Amino acid sequence: MATGTDQVVGLGLVAVSLIIFTYYTAWVILLPFIDSEHVIHKFFLPRAYAVAIPLAAGLLLLLCVGLFITYIMLKKQRVTKKAQ
Amino acid sequence: MTKLAQWLWALALLGSAWAALTMGALGLELPSPCREILWPLPAYLLVSAGCYALGTVGYRVATFHDCEDAARELQSQIQEARADLTRRGLRF
Repeated sequence: MATGTDQVVGLGLVAVSLIIFTYYTAWVILLPFIDSEHVIHKFFLPRAYAVAIPLAAGLLLLLCVGLFITYIMLKKQRVTKKAQ
Repeated sequence: MTKLAQWLWALALLGSAWAALTMGALGLELPSPCREILWPLPAYLLVSAGCYALGTVGYRVATFHDCEDAARELQSQIQEARADLTRRGLRF
């Protein structure tokens, strides 16, 4: 078995993914079947956010990936220019 | 047919089925909860796929079998190789 930080990080990732999955499933799949008067609806944002938040997160991820690639390419250009 | 073509084909089929159902193009009167679930369905599938990937990676990291002896042996071999190569004139 992996030791120390590896186990903590791994199990942390599993826990995070389970939490996100259950919350999101409850939000998208279960909530429409529950009466709109029930108190559980207070724990969930309006339904439009169920698509808006993952979309925004996806775009942010693409932005970060693009910035990283740009940074690496610029660094490489600077290194080759210095070597010339 | 290539794998890419297969995936695109399947995506196009499922996408058009979803679009047709969401916009009511088939004239079916689905009950309100079903329509409420249907329109965020692509986002839901993406998020669940992402969660599955994250969870699998985390699980495999946590249950990976460490080989302490092999790691130590590898480190000592790396030191040996570095010393040898620097002696022969390679700059790190």
